[in-house]
Amino acid sequence: MGYPQKPHPKETVVLSEYFGDPEARTFKGWVKRGGYEALKKALAMDPNAVTDEVKNSGLRGRGGAGFPTGLKWTFMPKEKRGPHYLCVNADESEPGTFKDREIMRWTPHALLEGTAIAAHAIRAEVAYIYIRGEFTEPWTVMTQALAEANAAKVFGNITIHLHRGAGAYICGEETALMNSIEGKRGNPRIKPPFPAVAGVFGKPTTINNVETLAAVPHIIKRGSAWYKGLCLSSPKSTGTKLFSVCGHIQKPGNVEVTMGFPLKDVIYEMCGGMRPGRTLKACIPGGSSVPILTKDETEKCLLDYEGVAEAGSLLGSGGVIVFDDSADMVYQIMRLARFYAHESCAQCTQCREGTAWTTKIMERILAGKGQMKDLDLLLDLSENMTGKTICVLSDSCATPVISGIKKFRSEFEDYITGKKRPVMVA
Amino acid sequence: MSAAHAAEAEPYQPVFVGKTLDRLNEIIARYPAKQGALLPALWLVQEARGWISDDAMAEVAAVLDTTAAHVKGVVTFYTMYHQHPVGKYFVQVCTTSCCNICGAEDVVKALLQETGAKELGATSPDGKWTVIEVECLGACGFPTPILVNDDFIENVTPDKVPDLVRKYR
Amino acid sequence: MADGLINLTIDDVAVSVPKGTLLIEAAKQAGVLVPHYCYHPGLPVAGVCRMCLVEVEKAPKLQIACATQVAEGMVVRTRSGQAKSGRTGVLELLLINHPLDCPICDQAGECELQDFTFQEGRPSTRYSPTYPKRFNPVEDFGPDVLYVPNRCILCTRCVRFMEDVAKEPVLNVSERGDRAFVGIHPDAQLDHPWSGNVVDLCPVGSLLSKDFLHKARAWELDKTASVCTGCSQGCNVTLDLRDDTVVRIRPRANLEVNQYFICDHGRGHYRWMNRGDRVEAPLVREGADLRAVDWDEALDRVRTLLKGAGGSAVALVSPKASTEGLYFARKVLARFNWTGAFQVVMGEEAPLAGVPNLALRAERAPNGKGAELLGYTRDYAAALKAAEKAAVVLVIDDPEAQIKTSGQVIYLGTAAPAFLNAAIVLPMALMVEEDGTYVNRDGRVQRYFQARGTPAMARPAWWILGQLTDAAPESASAAFDAMAAEVGAFRGMSYATLGLLGQRSGAGAGVPA
Repeated sequence: MGYPQKPHPKETVVLSEYFGDPEARTFKGWVKRGGYEALKKALAMDPNAVTDEVKNSGLRGRGGAGFPTGLKWTFMPKEKRGPHYLCVNADESEPGTFKDREIMRWTPHALLEGTAIAAHAIRAEVAYIYIRGEFTEPWTVMTQALAEANAAKVFGNITIHLHRGAGAYICGEETALMNSIEGKRGNPRIKPPFPAVAGVFGKPTTINNVETLAAVPHIIKRGSAWYKGLCLSSPKSTGTKLFSVCGHIQKPGNVEVTMGFPLKDVIYEMCGGMRPGRTLKACIPGGSSVPILTKDETEKCLLDYEGVAEAGSLLGSGGVIVFDDSADMVYQIMRLARFYAHESCAQCTQCREGTAWTTKIMERILAGKGQMKDLDLLLDLSENMTGKTICVLSDSCATPVISGIKKFRSEFEDYITGKKRPVMVA
Repeated sequence: MSAAHAAEAEPYQPVFVGKTLDRLNEIIARYPAKQGALLPALWLVQEARGWISDDAMAEVAAVLDTTAAHVKGVVTFYTMYHQHPVGKYFVQVCTTSCCNICGAEDVVKALLQETGAKELGATSPDGKWTVIEVECLGACGFPTPILVNDDFIENVTPDKVPDLVRKYR
Repeated sequence: MADGLINLTIDDVAVSVPKGTLLIEAAKQAGVLVPHYCYHPGLPVAGVCRMCLVEVEKAPKLQIACATQVAEGMVVRTRSGQAKSGRTGVLELLLINHPLDCPICDQAGECELQDFTFQEGRPSTRYSPTYPKRFNPVEDFGPDVLYVPNRCILCTRCVRFMEDVAKEPVLNVSERGDRAFVGIHPDAQLDHPWSGNVVDLCPVGSLLSKDFLHKARAWELDKTASVCTGCSQGCNVTLDLRDDTVVRIRPRANLEVNQYFICDHGRGHYRWMNRGDRVEAPLVREGADLRAVDWDEALDRVRTLLKGAGGSAVALVSPKASTEGLYFARKVLARFNWTGAFQVVMGEEAPLAGVPNLALRAERAPNGKGAELLGYTRDYAAALKAAEKAAVVLVIDDPEAQIKTSGQVIYLGTAAPAFLNAAIVLPMALMVEEDGTYVNRDGRVQRYFQARGTPAMARPAWWILGQLTDAAPESASAAFDAMAAEVGAFRGMSYATLGLLGQRSGAGAGVPA
């Protein structure tokens, strides 16, 4: 368990080993802890061999989509005709997720090292680390760490730049992130072309998440077989994963467990369970964009890509939002809808108009002015917002609404029938 | 702008001179196209002026070989760029779900009361405080996180607000 | 698979199209118009309105036809239940903030939001009437363009036109989510010489022309294919007339000439077509006066005049005169030692940066090239000089001409000449009142069509002058055929081969002049 808690014995501590250890932030401290050995090793390897090692480890993208990392790297052109770029997605902003922030705050060199290894593997000369604008502390820590590492000349021919965002959730979408680096509005791009063909500045580009890259040095150092061996359930999900646990929970924070670990142990044992007198009502296991799980589903859920899917949701970014029986699901789903309405980039009709309309309907229900037919309208609207737009922000707004109405319909109905008093003014 | 109006207005003083220009040039060199330096350039403007005026957008456009309209489109996309002057202390409170269920809206109320800012987005009469709600600050495990300018403060609860405000005042 | 063509099926119609073709274009070949807003063939693909959703067999979800390329064996259904419900959903969302102010909106009747809603929208909205619609005040974007943000559906055609075609990106999308609107920097103006195109491109009534504001309802307009008279570029246009008055000029697509665009100069160059001071009857000189006569008498007087004259003749012609008229003028003067010239008004050149070889040309002469092909020269001064000693001076619609001559002046014109020394004045049709052709600066011969009748006794120049020859054609088409038979530059061409888009001079023939 990361800062501010002590690790729990059931954790598999790889990425979070030095969370809370200020010395690990310094270049010297990081080297003392075995840092930059993996980079040295990787730079001496053929880029394809580095990619193969990562491919064999089974590492999958930790940003949310879970795409196999090594395979992604192989999409880059075999023949290099111009510059290649690596973009590091440190725009962590999925509600419920705060793992990349901790990686950058405590182990900035882990990210820098992983970044340089990945850049070598895809034969990129330049890597941009896109850090969320709101992350002032990680920005300062990363700036300092980069300066120290540059002074020590550890990156060979690879240049790493930090790029600060300025407040836009959508820039966590890879093509929006590239537009943002290019000095444009953070609008997602239509694909094709895919980033490996025409990415940032029109050149072949790979985009990886912070946690993904932070795992790479460990894979290079200890070998893919070791990493692949970290697996409790599905062989398609390997390694460790940070889960950010928040909401109605005694000890919120990041826990690092081996893929396939039971979610109920994370909630009840490692994070101290519910507050006294409270019981678990619901859980969003992978950041706010994934379907909500009921108590039963949560307690049966195993934390890997396949396990969470089987439970009826998605592993996503690993942001675990816990709701106890005091939570007003209708109000919270409205808050999520409002979030997506606020963050919609305005390109696609379904998203621009649909997220705002969803919010209005939810607000009206909370004001006691809803009608039963509003629930069907919400479901139909959500269906209309699913799978029809450039990116998945629209889907992300629809998902909690659909699963919320499906699983907590009575809470909606209570506002509509007047059984529950209005909590908003419409 | 009419000629009379122009004569009354203070002449615009460019941001990108001297050391700030050197910093910008160093940043421009990081990107294969000048426009890549747009977000960083806007941060430099905001650092220097506290907000980004239309004149400043025109200056940025000229320095980066783009148009003022493009710059404005970008400025209005990213919520952290101020299009108007704000209080000396700009407070952003996370009120998205995870913090919301842990009492973030009460933190907002306490901050408004303590700072004297009448409503969200308004600046307090002494010109010192502007409080806004923001969507997810990415520190859901430390509810409620707030940003006071660049200071990231975790675990804020309503009872901690008076002390916190006093420290800045 | 023939010659690299891709074969696919769209709504059960088999089509073969070149590789790389977008579904939305391939569908046109199958006779299917997939409803769309942001897509425009003259602009880069944006894929944002999500209206053109279609079902592609084996694809996991609906695809947008504007950004999906054809593939061999693809089976596309544009009218399946799923595709239709996807589009119905988009329409419902577009309308939640769009005011239903069609009765006062200039776009009504030619509004794609109206059309597609009528075609496949929901019969009524589910958006609560108690929710306020998004409101932003009307913005003055520039000399001729107003922006009504409430009606905007954020298709971004205007933004892309200014950015990628005009290459002067003064427009942007500002803000985000449902607060977004098309913005302009406060110090900027939408005053690029081609900016009026944003009004045509706007699929709804959000961008309006001040010039056309509240002038007419779309359904009151008669539309006629024509050619712009603003300069020598020869942009293809549509003339919109309300009760025989030209009220608007809009571009007509011709990929060889102007793609989908016209400049603002051409767009506004129509008031001369509505002038009221027309000559309405043939006039013959009786001492100091001009007397109105019928055509038989007028033409007899001309014949007599020409028969009695000898030596040299001069033709001073307008470069707005039809090729057919100019041909018969030269034929009438053929037995003289004749000189013909036209005067070209010069102006600023204004290219459209994103389209090769497209500009408002400095030479404001729509048929200068046609005149040249027929032997007229630009040396107007020399022609004026020659006119002094000429026996006959034939003037075609050049009312400002200051002619000093000892000979006889025959004047064909649309308005009364400024000088009053003409022996005969013959009322001529304006180009909007006749069929005819112009030849643009690149030698492209293009037809324009009659948009309204002539006032009173006015006749097309080819008819008037044709009556003085043996040919005496009865139609513009026959006049053109007579010319094509004789003049090499037009050989092999006819109104049928020219069609609506024209032909390059010489292209139809292969026969030297």
